[in-house]
Amino acid sequence: MKLLTHNMLTSHVRGVRPGGGFPLRIQATEVKVSNVDFNQEFVARMIPKVEWGALVEAAESLGHLSDLPPQLPPEYENNEDFLKKVHHVLLEVEVMEGVLKCPDSGREFPITKGIPNMLLSEEET
Amino acid sequence: MEKEASQLEKDHVHSVYEKIAPHFHDARYKAWPKVQQFLSDQEPGSLIADIGCGNGKYLHINSQTYKLGCDYCFPLVESARNVGHEVMVCHSLYLPYRNECFDTVLSIAVIHHFSTKERRVRAIKEMARILRVRGQIMIYVWAMEQKRRKFEKQDVFVPWNPSPPSWTLGNTCSRGIQKSINQKDKRLALDPHSTKLAGVLQAHRKARSSSFVWMKESTYNSSEKSLRWSLFSRSLDSLLHLHNHWHQRELCTFSNCNIQLDELKREKLFEQIQQGGFMKHICNLSFPCRQNSEENASEIAVKPGSPVIFHPVPFKKYYSELDQDNKQSPMSAAIINECSRVCLPDLVSHQKAVKQQLEIDYHPKQASFHKLQNRTKTDSSLQGVNSDCSVSTWNKQLQRSPNGACLRYYHVFKEGELVELIENHIPELHVIHSYFDHANWCVIAEKIQVQKI
Repeated sequence: MKLLTHNMLTSHVRGVRPGGGFPLRIQATEVKVSNVDFNQEFVARMIPKVEWGALVEAAESLGHLSDLPPQLPPEYENNEDFLKKVHHVLLEVEVMEGVLKCPDSGREFPITKGIPNMLLSEEET
Repeated sequence: MEKEASQLEKDHVHSVYEKIAPHFHDARYKAWPKVQQFLSDQEPGSLIADIGCGNGKYLHINSQTYKLGCDYCFPLVESARNVGHEVMVCHSLYLPYRNECFDTVLSIAVIHHFSTKERRVRAIKEMARILRVRGQIMIYVWAMEQKRRKFEKQDVFVPWNPSPPSWTLGNTCSRGIQKSINQKDKRLALDPHSTKLAGVLQAHRKARSSSFVWMKESTYNSSEKSLRWSLFSRSLDSLLHLHNHWHQRELCTFSNCNIQLDELKREKLFEQIQQGGFMKHICNLSFPCRQNSEENASEIAVKPGSPVIFHPVPFKKYYSELDQDNKQSPMSAAIINECSRVCLPDLVSHQKAVKQQLEIDYHPKQASFHKLQNRTKTDSSLQGVNSDCSVSTWNKQLQRSPNGACLRYYHVFKEGELVELIENHIPELHVIHSYFDHANWCVIAEKIQVQKI
């Protein structure tokens, strides 16, 4: 699971208050870092779709903050250095094993072989 | 009702996909050109969700976008993951995504697996939820109106043939298999209880040089009609609580799927499989059709006019097994005949009166079934018959009934139905294009801002 994927994920366990299931806390037991070709335009277009605070928090929790600032800097579109860091965090850092924890309910979703299992039981829906 | 619908989908969608997942491979399941085009048209940097991504056949298209696949079936998701796609396991009614975070949503061959209208609406609504305003969604559902297949009802169980399709009519393999059918046919014909089944096999044999036998109106008489898979109903497998050695192997295959289940669920599944195995046996016996799913429709389209024939391998296997327990066959034919008219739960939900109708209908069938049961009990070759299998406990059975592992549930859509569903129930989606493609009804819709009052 890449951190770009994580940024879209939320928990919908029954009883979670609106918006309370985001962002899921990552408790990783195995993290993989791989090389992905850098595409500046792609990263620049992706940033507005990302919840920046959640991305920074996730990167930090995995020890891969990569100097990302807590606030999104202005005019980042042409800041190649910055975009490369974002690229690294969004696409190159992957959680292979661990759990995603719902911040509101505490429900844990396992990640196995890089695949989050977000299934809920009938009682949880 | 909701519980029954969910259980039906578990038994006849989820379980089936988990079982058939190992047979999916790229060579067979090609991307359809119009879906490919749609994905290619998405602008660079788009975030795309593929809901029901299966083994990820659409996830490699358009490298300028970011695609997130999800599916209920862990083995399929795993194979998508193994080729480097970003995927997860979830249920389509409960997508684990933020509101309005995707630019594009893809739903190919998913909505037709929901067994009630309410659930089909919910599934589309859930996808609309994760779509941003002005984002587009593409939906494909299997069509009732097909040149090569005819459905008598919209809610159908479609058998899945685990082998790859065979295209050449009259090749050595199919001739060989035909021979084995003929021999079996003779054996069955000797049994006074097996006349209906033998009749169908006869019809099948006669029609072997024509196209898909189950689709040929002309090859049916009225009693055979009731055996057609298009009339297959839930009650059929609900009534079968038989056990034989064959299920052990099936269970092994199933366990190998590496599904994440706790022990309790495994035990439950074991029970279901034990019960469902016989169903599979029957459908392989009585429904010698090759797979007819949306997945290979493109291949059919590539070869216009080429006859669709079943693949020999499963036949050989199942017919050789029949030597050990062929006494089940007449019973299976009889039960299929008895139960083929019972409605699916969907119909009950929309017309409460129908439920009563069902129960009234059921009494004569119940009597017939008890006769069958008595016959079964005297047959020492059959073991493990569940004596509690009374049809009067209809609802209870729906919940605990076995899964016919090889039968996939579909709600096939009539022309205009998908558009109507969206226009009447999902105001946040605006249909911008609808068309027919590869035996599917297809819609491209755009999310619009809905004014909340």
